[in-house]
Amino acid sequence: MNHQRNLKNSLAAGLLLAVVTVAGTAVAQSRSSEVVIEHTSTAFIKTDVLMQELDVLSGGPESVAAADLMLTVISNDLNLSGLFQVGFSESNPESLQFEFTIEGTVEGPLRDAAQTGVNAPVTINLNLLSYPERQLLLNKRYRPLPSQMRVTAHHFANEVVFALTGEPGIALTRIVFSRGKGDRRDLYSVDYDGEGLLRLTANRTLNLCPAWSPDGSAIAFTSYRNGQQGLFSLDTGTGKVRSMIALEGLNLGADWHPDGEELAVSLSQSGNPEIYRITPQGKIIKRLTVSKAIEISPSWAPGGRDLVFTSDRTGTPQLYIIDSDGAGRRRVTFEGRYNDSAVWSPGGDQIVYASREGNYTQIVVMKSTGEDRRVLTDARWRNSEDPSWAPDGRHIVFASDRSGSFKLYVYDLVENTFRQLTFGQDPDITPAWSH
Amino acid sequence: MTRGWISRSSLMAMGLVLILGLVLVAGCSKNADVETEPVVPDAQPVEETPPPPVPEDKTEVEDVAMDYASIEPSEYGVMDVYFAFDQYDLDNEAMGTLSRNAKILKEAGVTVLISGHCDERGTVEYNLALGEKRARAVRDYLVSLGVPAGKLMVTSYGESKPFAYGSTEDAWAQNRRSHFERP
Repeated sequence: MNHQRNLKNSLAAGLLLAVVTVAGTAVAQSRSSEVVIEHTSTAFIKTDVLMQELDVLSGGPESVAAADLMLTVISNDLNLSGLFQVGFSESNPESLQFEFTIEGTVEGPLRDAAQTGVNAPVTINLNLLSYPERQLLLNKRYRPLPSQMRVTAHHFANEVVFALTGEPGIALTRIVFSRGKGDRRDLYSVDYDGEGLLRLTANRTLNLCPAWSPDGSAIAFTSYRNGQQGLFSLDTGTGKVRSMIALEGLNLGADWHPDGEELAVSLSQSGNPEIYRITPQGKIIKRLTVSKAIEISPSWAPGGRDLVFTSDRTGTPQLYIIDSDGAGRRRVTFEGRYNDSAVWSPGGDQIVYASREGNYTQIVVMKSTGEDRRVLTDARWRNSEDPSWAPDGRHIVFASDRSGSFKLYVYDLVENTFRQLTFGQDPDITPAWSH
Repeated sequence: MTRGWISRSSLMAMGLVLILGLVLVAGCSKNADVETEPVVPDAQPVEETPPPPVPEDKTEVEDVAMDYASIEPSEYGVMDVYFAFDQYDLDNEAMGTLSRNAKILKEAGVTVLISGHCDERGTVEYNLALGEKRARAVRDYLVSLGVPAGKLMVTSYGESKPFAYGSTEDAWAQNRRSHFERP
C-alpha cells in the first residue's frame, strides 16, 4: 500500500541521513559555543537569517529543482519555528539585520551507470555561517533521493535550530488526526508544515483520539468494531494495526507514558469511565480512580509521575491532577463550568485544555499549578477543541470549526499567531503532535 | 350521496314488494287465474354504485416469521428517546417510549444495539462518556421492564454521528438521543 511505502521511505531517509551526516558532525563540533540565542516570552526578538540560493554545480533540471526546494523548505521551517526571520537578499525591504547566513551547493547525480536517471540521488552541501564574519558554524552533506528532499531540508533546519539555540527543532514532526464525517472517520497524518498528507486507516468505521508513542513507532487510537469501542495500535513503520484492549464500554483517550512502556486510558468496563494504566499489550497495571463520576482524558506530565485528567464528580467536568499510584488527587480548574481535554506541556510547566463557555468551546492555557489562566481563542474561533502541544512547548495544534467545518490550526504561544494546517471539506478532529 | 339513494331505492323496493304481496294475496283469495298483474321479479335494491368490498377476515393470514435481525428496529416500532442538554435521565415521554419498546423487544427476541448520542457542543471525549450514560440509562430501564440484558448491547458515538446538522436548537435537540440499531 502506498502509505506503507511512504512510511518506509521516511525511515529509509532517516537511515540514509544517519550515514551521510557522520562526516558533517565533525565540523559542527568545532563551532563556537558562544553562539546561543536567548529568548524570553515577554520580549522576544527574532534572529534574522539570510538564506542564499544554492549554487547548482552540475546536473540538469532535477538539481535546479532540488536547489529551489531546499531554499523554500529550509526558510519556511526557520520562519515557522518562530525563532527566526528569513530574508533572501542583502538589500531587503524589511531592513533585516542578518546575524547568520545559509548557503550551499547542489551537484547532479554521479556519472554512474547504476545511478543515472530520474531517481538518482543528488549531492547537497549546506553551510551555516555567522554574518557578516562568515565563521563556519555548521556543515552538512546529504545525498537524498528525490522523494527524500523535504526530509533533508527539514533535517538541516533542525540542525540550524539546535546549533543556534541548543533546543531540538520541530521540522521533522508530524500531526496525526481523525478525518471524516459521521461514523466514517479515518486516521491521517501530515507534516507539521501541512505537507505530506498520508492516510493511515481505511477500515470503514469511526477512528479517533490518536496518540503517538514517545519514539513515534506506534499510534494508539480508539476505533469501533461491530459497534463496540476498542483501543488499537498502529505500527507507523509497517502500517499494521493490532488490537490493544477492547473491554466492554469506552476504551478511550489513551496517552503514552514518557518511557513508552505503558499508557493511561479511560475504561468504563466497571460501570462508569475510570482512569487506568495499561501495558501496550492491553494488560491492566493499575486502576487510578474510583468514583461514580465520569473520569476521562488522562495526560502524563513529562516526568511520568503525575497525570492530569477530567472528572465530573462535582457535577460538571473539571481538571484534576493525580500521581501514578492514584494518590494525591487535587483539583486544578476553578474557573468555567466545563473543562476537559487537558494536555501537559513538554516542559512540564503548563497545561492546555478546552473550556466550554456558553455554547462554544475555547482553548485555554494555564500553569500546571492552575494559575495564570489564559484564553487563547476568542469567539471568532467558534468551537476550538482537542489541543495538543508541539515538542517545542511553543506551538499548539487544535481543531476549530470557524470556517464552518472543523479544520486544524497551529498557534504560536509567543507570537500569538495562528496558521491553518489542514484544508478541505471533511471535518478534522482530535489531532496529536508527534514527540 | 349513496346513502340517500339506496334508502329511496329501498323504499321503492319495499313499496314494490308490498304492492306485489297485496296483489298476490288479493289474487289468491279470489280466483287463481287473476294473474294479469305483471310478475315483478323479486325486487333487488337498485344500487347505483357497487358496494365497497368487504374486507375478508384475515385471522388466517399466513404466519411468515419476521426476520427482525435483518431490519432496523425503527421499522418494527422500536423508537428513539431524547434527552435534555447535558442530561442523561429519562423524562416521562422517554419512559413511555421505552415501555412500548420493551414490549416489542420482548416479543421480537432479537439483539439490538443501543447507541448514545450528544449534540455538537462540548468536547469529543466528554460527549462520548455522556453518550454512554444515555445509552446505559436506556438499557437499564429496559432491563427493569423485563427485556433480557443479554439482548441489549450498548455503545456511544458522542457527537460524532449526528442525525441533524447545523447549530440550531432544533438540530441540537434531535442529536441528544439514544438510538436503536442492528448490531
